[in-house]
Amino acid sequence: MDFVTLGGNLLGVIPLGDIVLYLTPFNLFLFAVLLGFTLLIALSKPETQVEATMHYLYNTEVKVGPKELKQRRFLSIICGIASAGAMITGDLFNFTLFMALVGILNIGIVSAVKQTSVLNSAFNYGLIAMMCSLPLFGGAAIILAATGTLSLAVLSQMPASPMVVFGAVLMLIGILGESGVAPFFASKAEMFRTAGSPYIVIIHLSSLFIIVRAVEILLLVLW
Amino acid sequence: MNLMAEILIQVVIAFLAGSLLLGLHRKIMARVQKRPGPPIVQHLIHSLKFFFKETAIPKTVSKVFYIGIVFILALIWVVGVIAGPVAHDSLLILFGVYAVYKIVEHNSGSSSGSPYGKLSCVRAVLSAATELPLFAAIVFVYLVTGSMNIGEIIAYQSAHGPLVFTVPLAALMFFMLIITKSPYSPFAITKDKVLISGFETEHFGFLRGFMHFSEAIAWYVLLWVFLTIFFGPLNAVGYLIGMIAITFITAFINATTPLLSPNHSVMTQITIGAICFFGTVLMIFTGVVA
Repeated sequence: MDFVTLGGNLLGVIPLGDIVLYLTPFNLFLFAVLLGFTLLIALSKPETQVEATMHYLYNTEVKVGPKELKQRRFLSIICGIASAGAMITGDLFNFTLFMALVGILNIGIVSAVKQTSVLNSAFNYGLIAMMCSLPLFGGAAIILAATGTLSLAVLSQMPASPMVVFGAVLMLIGILGESGVAPFFASKAEMFRTAGSPYIVIIHLSSLFIIVRAVEILLLVLW
Repeated sequence: MNLMAEILIQVVIAFLAGSLLLGLHRKIMARVQKRPGPPIVQHLIHSLKFFFKETAIPKTVSKVFYIGIVFILALIWVVGVIAGPVAHDSLLILFGVYAVYKIVEHNSGSSSGSPYGKLSCVRAVLSAATELPLFAAIVFVYLVTGSMNIGEIIAYQSAHGPLVFTVPLAALMFFMLIITKSPYSPFAITKDKVLISGFETEHFGFLRGFMHFSEAIAWYVLLWVFLTIFFGPLNAVGYLIGMIAITFITAFINATTPLLSPNHSVMTQITIGAICFFGTVLMIFTGVVA
């Protein structure tokens, strides 16, 4: 299967040595949305989260402190850029690297929070992400061993052998765990209870968009 | 026709048709529950009314996102109209549009600082279970037709008949998404009445107007995509009848079904999605689907 059938007409290719980035309307849409959100994250200040105080008649205000803000904003911007890179890369190994980086950054974004339930959730998600990094990279390695290439342009023109199918299935398991979507989202949902809306949005955005991109990549490799 | 003019016309059609269909949805629900219900044009009037209401911004908000997110919401569904009814482009772009819609749902809730919006935001993460059946439905359409391009999918159906007869379970998975996104759905956990209006609670005035505008276009685009990829090719009358029929069906379901708890909602969606997924895989491998 080729890029055009999946994502629309090829708008351009950016050859960076052996790393080839490509743009179709589909990739461009994902890339532009991610960069747009990253820009908004860089510009915005976090909200003040209002919570009811148990047994009293007043509310508690949860704010993001200045030090925490700097750390979380920095990691969120890096996460946005890494996710944007994953949207246009034409190399299978680069995609897995961006994916692993996004997983680490997702944990990092909430690691400075001082809420036990949020940290517990980040810890559980971290365990799943670590376990799933093995099938993620293993899958890419098996595809490389079976075909001799990691270029999506070349892989899209090759017939899928049983080893390639096996590698793609492993990659799918890895992607599901690393991005923390169903059935792993239960471990991740609690992370979103913390304050700092501009920073937690990139956790959700990067996970969803990587799944959307993974659909394209798996279809390119398998058909 | 000039491309810009066509986009503008299609967006206006999507907004008007979507608003009237949502009004019809509300009317049918009311009649099923033995209430007179509001006039069908009520949703449209509401949407327009909000644009002229005073806009208040709570002091707790993350301002850039709080304001920016409603424009993003409107923009992505305009992109949905361009990729779908105007350009007949890739289904993957529409999948991307839907993913951004989930993010907007998430962020408009959390950026306000309100506990109701926040809970809606957390539930939006949980309700990500609807994305996988949508993804599976799109992949099955691709496996049968060999293309993600909507124009080519329509051409395939004109030669081989509507896809709803070839991959009915994939159509059912997509229909589950439509039920989930319909107003007062049993799966609408992000807009549960215990959360007031969920992620929309703290958006007032013209910001809410943009949200209503986007909701109307979203409903139109979802119905258009469903009818196009499973019942195509259709003419304007076919689309009209199809959209009214789906609105009737979803209104009946929603009027007679209570809102599920978040866990039950997610488990029900995953179970139906899994049954349809494995059913379609079985149909493909046993040769039922050519």
